Amino acid sequence: MRNEVEVNRAIEEYADMVRRLCMIHLKNYADTEDIFQTVFLKYALRSAPFESPEHERAWLIRVTVNACKDLLKSFFRSRTVPLDELLEHPAQLPPDHREVLEAVLALPSKYRDVVYLHYYEGYTAPEIGRILGKNTNSVYTLLTRSRQMLREKLGGDEDA
Amino acid sequence: MRDRLKEAFDQVRAEEELKEKTKAFVRQKTDGRARQKGSMPRRLLPAIACLVLLLFGGGAWLFGTPTVTISIDINPSIELGVNRFGQVVTVKGYNDDGAALADSIQVKYRDYGDAVSQILANQKIAALLSDGAVMSIGVIGLESAQSEQILADLESCTRSQENAYCYSARPEDAKAAHELGLSTGKYRAYLELQALDPTITPEEVQQMTMREIRDRIASLSDENRAGAQPDGHNGSGNHGSGKGYGRQNAEADEGLSIDDR
Repeated sequence: MRNEVEVNRAIEEYADMVRRLCMIHLKNYADTEDIFQTVFLKYALRSAPFESPEHERAWLIRVTVNACKDLLKSFFRSRTVPLDELLEHPAQLPPDHREVLEAVLALPSKYRDVVYLHYYEGYTAPEIGRILGKNTNSVYTLLTRSRQMLREKLGGDEDA
Repeated sequence: MRDRLKEAFDQVRAEEELKEKTKAFVRQKTDGRARQKGSMPRRLLPAIACLVLLLFGGGAWLFGTPTVTISIDINPSIELGVNRFGQVVTVKGYNDDGAALADSIQVKYRDYGDAVSQILANQKIAALLSDGAVMSIGVIGLESAQSEQILADLESCTRSQENAYCYSARPEDAKAAHELGLSTGKYRAYLELQALDPTITPEEVQQMTMREIRDRIASLSDENRAGAQPDGHNGSGNHGSGKGYGRQNAEADEGLSIDDR
């Protein structure tokens, strides 16, 4: 059991990351609230200490992704939804960023995590494999495929 | 593409409202339990409650259990139960006068010394003593430092009363006495009297004053002595032996020797 100060610190520190993971998995804002509650309650109830901040971050990623998957498994949802339904204030999003995010959301769900974790959080393929419980080679394949798909959609720089 | 993705994701932030809602939810779900770090785990509370009860119960038992009984007989027969801290915790009268005396005095939870002084100062008792009544004060308890201390205190406390004497007795004597409905002092006197007059009953003794019992013992042993002399026997051996237990102080011996005459 963690105290209120610790939980609030974790929420402040990791809320943006959890929010992004929710965005790439979920279909609406109400579900995001559910995931936040599930993830941070789990965090509050966890009694085992984290070995390091990296361990804590990876744990939260895994719990969030699993919670999202559990939620999606529970009933049928369409494969993609407009970004407008995912964000509280989508109108504030500049058009260029909007296009990129929509391209990510258009990817099949198994590609979205690796894209986010690799391009935004900066994890390597072996690290992503460990966090998500996937084979490293599968992660490499997913990354390569998603890069191709995103390039097709967004037009392409070769730097990725 | 890496930069574009990074910038785009950077735009996605957890809404303040979402964070606040989550904090409130977690706080409510953990019921404030997580608030104080290192506070007592809730599952230990029953164990702690038991411990407190045990300590409290144990304390109450230590406090409330008499370890030594002070038996006071004059005619009112009264017994004071004294706990291991030297405080009177029970007061019991062993005849009608004793019960009346027990009701009229406030000695419970007082120091035993105060209690005995209060009883000696009681109007009725003081009148009886000045009238020449015999008072016996017994300390009944296991052989312990406390019993000895109380006996020594009572001896010094009754030194000024020439008709008062102190003795010590064992809890077995008190038990036998209580089975006959007598206080310990009366029981000892009853045993002495019974040796001289086997027809005497505990009921008779219960209603007699100590002076009456002493006088009766004295007259009976005089009779015995008178009756025994022609045969060359000395009947006074029956008297004053205390049945082999207890001890009597100087005043007691004096008191008895006066009675004997």
